[in-house]
Amino acid sequence: MQMSILHERSTINSRVKRIALLFALVAINAHAAEVIPPKPAAYFNDYAGVVSKEAASRFNEQLAQFERETSNQVVVAIFPKMESSSDIADYAQRVAQSWGIGSKAQRNGVAVLVFTQDHKMSIQVGYGLEGALPDATAYDIRANHITPHFRSGDYEGGLAEGIDLIFKAIRGEYKGDGATVRERRTNRNGGGGGLVFLILFVIVMISIFRARKRGYRYSGSRGPYVSWWPSGGSGGGWSSGSGGGGFSGFSGGGGSFGGGGSSGGW
Amino acid sequence: MNKFAIGCGGIVLILVFVLVIAALAGVGMYNRLVRSQQAVDAQWAQVQNVYQRRADLIPNLVNTVQGAANFEKSTLTEITNARASVGRVQLDPNKAPTDAAQLEEFQRAQGQLSNALSRLLVVSERYPELKANQNFLTLQAQLEGSENRIAVERNKFNEVVQSYNTQVRSFPTNVFGGMFGFTPRPYFNAQPGAEKAPTVNFNFGSPAPSAAATASP
Repeated sequence: MQMSILHERSTINSRVKRIALLFALVAINAHAAEVIPPKPAAYFNDYAGVVSKEAASRFNEQLAQFERETSNQVVVAIFPKMESSSDIADYAQRVAQSWGIGSKAQRNGVAVLVFTQDHKMSIQVGYGLEGALPDATAYDIRANHITPHFRSGDYEGGLAEGIDLIFKAIRGEYKGDGATVRERRTNRNGGGGGLVFLILFVIVMISIFRARKRGYRYSGSRGPYVSWWPSGGSGGGWSSGSGGGGFSGFSGGGGSFGGGGSSGGW
Repeated sequence: MNKFAIGCGGIVLILVFVLVIAALAGVGMYNRLVRSQQAVDAQWAQVQNVYQRRADLIPNLVNTVQGAANFEKSTLTEITNARASVGRVQLDPNKAPTDAAQLEEFQRAQGQLSNALSRLLVVSERYPELKANQNFLTLQAQLEGSENRIAVERNKFNEVVQSYNTQVRSFPTNVFGGMFGFTPRPYFNAQPGAEKAPTVNFNFGSPAPSAAATASP
């Protein structure tokens, strides 16, 4: 008897689980119409595996160095497939925007997105670079210099030429300060985190001190003030992630994109 | 006596505190409304900007196309007319429209121009000399960029209007906002014709990738 109840419960449980799973799947399906890939960790990201390791890291360093010199962020990402039913230009704009390439103030980012199986690519130009890299230039770079290489399967050559031409177009528009956004953030967090911690420490100490002083009169009901401590303490503890080593990681500066650039197939 | 005074003082202090909080909340609400209204207006300026950018391309485009041997006259006059009717529906570029009908009219005029332009690009496919014309190719790339920008800025406009409208319509703010004349703003709505414009892809002669591969040397 008890066994059967248990059994029944477990089937109900599993049924609930199945329904939950179904819902989860439906939810995933609803979103499957479009997937915005997460922010990349590098400047050059080959998710499709069409470029050699050496070339990828060379490109990556080239792009990082370009940001140090000019503050312009150029990010390249090669995907096997476009996970969206939208037009490539629309989708690429949304991806570039969500990655926040370029600085927030200058909006000087460029995204080069390639979808190998779809035979489509897009150059998205941030607002701040639309003057230096107008649509006609982006079109020329894409249609006359990159995709001819792609047609023969030479992704490395096409991207090398494309990156070079993009650099030529946008160099001189803004000045860099010798560090990337990631590097600056790492440095700043080291100092800034400490300062925040110090200020919180002082506030907490003062409030503890006051609570103690008042405690005699108000029978110590100032407890909550002291309980600030743990949250205040953790606030001071956002120490930076790793950013060093031989590999230059990418962090977006919050740049925005207005659909400038050029997109198309090959 | 002393205790009573302290008690009174406490109550007054609490009252003042409540009033200050209420005033601060009111000021905060007002400022937030102003800020999002500004965001709507700024985005509207941006929308106007990208539409203007497209309109500015048209004289050059028409000139280039006219150069092509006996290009269809009807397509060109259609564009010129659409451009002129767009010019007639001028809205204040610094203030987003408050009237839905106004925005609708603007959108209809721009939609006509979009349709005329995409027709021109379709027709131009029949003129091989245009397809080899560098100036025309450049204009096409610019036109494509303009259409993409229009799509992006319109979306952004709808987003900021949505957040503004949500603020204006939601509870404590709606009472308060009404007093200061904050009213909901109209959106761009997706028109069957207008929204289709950006999907015109100017990939010459590549309905299938194989065709493109053979077409290019």
